[in-house]
Amino acid sequence: MLSVNHLSIVYQTTQVLSEFDLSLATGDIFALTGDSGSGKSSALRFIAGLDEAQSGRVILDGKQLSNNGVHNIAPELREIGMVFQDYALFPHMNIKKNIAFGIHYLSNNKQKARIEELLLMIGLEGVEKKYPHQLSGGEQQRVALARALAPSPKLLLLDEPFSSLDKSLQEQLVLQVRDILKKTNVTSILVTHDKREATIFADKVGMIENKQLTIN
Amino acid sequence: MNIKTWAPSTLALALTVSSIGIAQAKSEDSVTVYSSRKEHLIKPLFVSFTKDTGIKVMYLTGKSGALIERLKLEGKNTKADMFMTVDAGNLWYAATQGLFQAVQTQTLESNIPSHLRDPKGLWTGLSVRARTIVYSTERVNPTDLSTYENLADSKWAGRLCLRTSKKIYTKSLVASMIYHHSKNRAGDIISGWVNNLAAIPNAKDSHIMNAIVSGQCDVGLVNTYYFARLIAQNPNVPLKLFWANQDTTGVHVNVSGAGVIKYAPNTKGAIKLLEWLSSAKAQAIYASLNKEYPANQNVASDEVVSSWGLFKQDKMNLAQTGILQADAVKLMQIKGYR
Amino acid sequence: MPIFVVALSWLFTERELWAHFSTVLLPNLISATMVLLIGVGLGVTLLGTLLAYLVVMVEFPGRRWLEWALFLPFAIPAYVLAFVYLGVFDYSGYVQVWMREVLGLPGFDIRTGPWAIILTFVLVFYPYVYMMVRASFKRQKINIIEAGQLLGASPLRVFFKISLPMARPAVAAGLLVTLMETLADFGVVSLFNFDTFTTAIYSAWGDFRSIEVAAQLASLLVLVAFFLIFFEKKARGQAKYYSNDVSNKKPYYVLGFVGWLISLFVFCVFMLSFAMPMLQLIIWGWASMGEEWSVKYVDLIISTSVLTTLAALITVSIATILALPSRCKRNSPWLKSLISMATLGYALPGSIMAVGLLYGINQVSAISVYFGGQSINHIIFGSIALLLFAYVSRFMAIGYSSIKASAEQIKPVFTQSARLLGASYLRLIWKIYLPMMMPGVLAGGLLVAVDVMKELPATYLLRPFGWDTLAVQVYELSAEGLFERAAIPALIMVLFGAVLMLIFQLLDQKSSKNL
Repeated sequence: MLSVNHLSIVYQTTQVLSEFDLSLATGDIFALTGDSGSGKSSALRFIAGLDEAQSGRVILDGKQLSNNGVHNIAPELREIGMVFQDYALFPHMNIKKNIAFGIHYLSNNKQKARIEELLLMIGLEGVEKKYPHQLSGGEQQRVALARALAPSPKLLLLDEPFSSLDKSLQEQLVLQVRDILKKTNVTSILVTHDKREATIFADKVGMIENKQLTIN
Repeated sequence: MNIKTWAPSTLALALTVSSIGIAQAKSEDSVTVYSSRKEHLIKPLFVSFTKDTGIKVMYLTGKSGALIERLKLEGKNTKADMFMTVDAGNLWYAATQGLFQAVQTQTLESNIPSHLRDPKGLWTGLSVRARTIVYSTERVNPTDLSTYENLADSKWAGRLCLRTSKKIYTKSLVASMIYHHSKNRAGDIISGWVNNLAAIPNAKDSHIMNAIVSGQCDVGLVNTYYFARLIAQNPNVPLKLFWANQDTTGVHVNVSGAGVIKYAPNTKGAIKLLEWLSSAKAQAIYASLNKEYPANQNVASDEVVSSWGLFKQDKMNLAQTGILQADAVKLMQIKGYR
Repeated sequence: MPIFVVALSWLFTERELWAHFSTVLLPNLISATMVLLIGVGLGVTLLGTLLAYLVVMVEFPGRRWLEWALFLPFAIPAYVLAFVYLGVFDYSGYVQVWMREVLGLPGFDIRTGPWAIILTFVLVFYPYVYMMVRASFKRQKINIIEAGQLLGASPLRVFFKISLPMARPAVAAGLLVTLMETLADFGVVSLFNFDTFTTAIYSAWGDFRSIEVAAQLASLLVLVAFFLIFFEKKARGQAKYYSNDVSNKKPYYVLGFVGWLISLFVFCVFMLSFAMPMLQLIIWGWASMGEEWSVKYVDLIISTSVLTTLAALITVSIATILALPSRCKRNSPWLKSLISMATLGYALPGSIMAVGLLYGINQVSAISVYFGGQSINHIIFGSIALLLFAYVSRFMAIGYSSIKASAEQIKPVFTQSARLLGASYLRLIWKIYLPMMMPGVLAGGLLVAVDVMKELPATYLLRPFGWDTLAVQVYELSAEGLFERAAIPALIMVLFGAVLMLIFQLLDQKSSKNL
């Protein structure tokens, strides 16, 4: 389903990641951990097509998205969804419009049905008309998840999605999100610095140490 | 004007059409005037002209220098038939730039004395303005006053108010000093004036008179029509005019006037307007609107203006103000006359 | 283009005139201009920042209405304000007459030395700094201030160590606009008879009929503007301040005596910069109402509104395109220099720019005629398009800086998430950038509109027949010394400007609620 090969990343002059290889099957939930500055977020952003790298190839569902550290296909055409640490919900749009952003090509009725389905899944029915700043952090992050899932991406990337939330909320949400991802059977990669969170969330956990990836 | 009333509804169209609109409105029965004489001083005349002749007048006001540049650049394609401005220096400059055509008609020759017209007929003076001494009746004995040159005498130290050297009236007056004396002598006079100043030269003639009234200074130089305006507002103002240089060169005068544009689309109409402006009827309005002296000698001055009495005018050829203007400015800049 | 024409002038020199200018005028003018720039710069920075800080960070009696009242002076053209100040405060004005007659103090010429003109400029231009710094203070997260307070910092220390450094880009932007306006001014300096660089440009052109020397001097002015823009970029530094948090909670409550003192101070600024001049205009206007008011004002108002609206729309559209965040990380250096060029027009005196434009068009015509084509002069001259072009080049800087500020608030993460949701560049612009920039776009549009409405020199030279504006009417009457009558168009203009500023203020409030 997804294979990443020979990914090497250099920050300014220091090599942080060298010859990173990863392959995942459909529906896999993978977590990537490591200390800050270990290059785990950069690896994720390379897969998303947002940042370039020194070398590396990404093949998703048989399509070569990037090669030699350069992207062949722009982020908007990759069918990859992403959830960011600080939610990144568009502040000028209400929840409904935020979620609909990636599925504007559907008819109004289909959009509506999809949004209702997603809100039901994340347990936030009836918030369509609200604006992001009227929701709590945990609620916003669930909406961000719904928004990323709306276009049914082939791959979902989660970049420290739980780290700006309260401890008590975190654990609850980790499990809830895991359930949702399992239900939708979307291949996912979570980046987190919290090893416990990684083990609860993922089927497979990878750890970056000394520029190398080890998977246990 | 007609263009504008429909423009708001068709904003985008206006972008391209406004210039064409002018071209269409242009015809035998309208004359286009570029004027540095302000709207409120010319509009009543044009209205009256249209009533008399049926010829419409379109006008665009602007600063003299800018309008001359615009006319030069428009060249043969100009829509202007007439250029109207104040100060002989400006008229002279427009003439040297080849903007005017010679117009010599009997009407003009009989209406306007020859020293107020360009020798070749390129421009015609339409009103006379005099710049002379104004003094405080409370603090100045008129017998102490005599000439412009005398104001450089140290007895006026700290008592003199002048208008800024950036104003054309000052430039022309200094040009006449250079003409009558020499650059050196004129330079000394300017230095004397600058030493006697009670305040930084004022931006407006009205400020000079206010300064004298309030006691900041005792004497100043102003164009007479500003004085007329002041006494119309406040008849008891403790100021009086003094006719300068009566025993020598005479009071410095200047003109406002107009010339017909060389490439005028409607030369005939422009000449008609110029002749009409020199007529007794127009001259009475023209001069009295701004309390100036009529150029047409058969027309009596406004009542207030006549009450100041007759005076001897400086007979210097007015083209000199133009020729010597750059020298005058340089001299004032060197002598620190702001 | 005007800048290009101005730069070309160096190909032709007039040695003798240059010698006169460089020995007699320039030494004094350069130092006078420097004094003016430094004085005005310090003044607007202090006053603008202080007022912004007070209304954002401190709660004091009357704060709510003073906060918007402080925008109003922006609606008064600088030359009108200078006019009123001279009338009121100079030797023969009410204030000094009263001081002499009642207090027995000696009179003095307020135009002596640079302080009065500096003060005038500060009072007209402080709203630029106030406006920008206020917006910046509002975006400072209150918790950063509170963190400072809890660490035991006094209010002064919080101001100098936290608030001010974070607002530095806004201070720099406001200062830049102010200094460029000051450089370009001709109206105020001629009323005070204070010689600056602009005076020399006018003298070269008006007295010595030398467009070349005038253009050469103007190009030096542009150089100074380049310099200022460079410094503004430096002052902005590398720091990026992304924050959409707007809090209406005030960190400091000052009631009681000190609170009233603050109110009094802010109120005095408002009185001096707006209420008092307005009152004088109303007194003058009242006296001349019967004489001056006529139907022609309908025409004046229509043409002013049409020109203002069109110029604001065009400027804002172009500025928005220039300010759009690029999809990738870097802007090309080519685009950056294009933008700097486009905003330079602000430092050129309006009539110099207008003449530069006429000459530029004339050159184009000459080339066209040379190749057997037709002269385009008669089509372009006196067309509204040329005038609009002049407005757009002159006021691009003001529209751009406002719009750019709002574009910088857009965090890269919004771009990234939109792209990962499949948004094309156009959709990104339409759905994300434009809506998020809208407050800045509207604010920029209103500021440009107010500036265009006040603009005189370019309008006076380039306007087509029948397109007299209110500013032209003010000039024509006041140039003839008819100040009472000039007060009527001035009042109408200030009224329109004030309404625009109020709309600006309302939009500002609305946007700060939404984000």
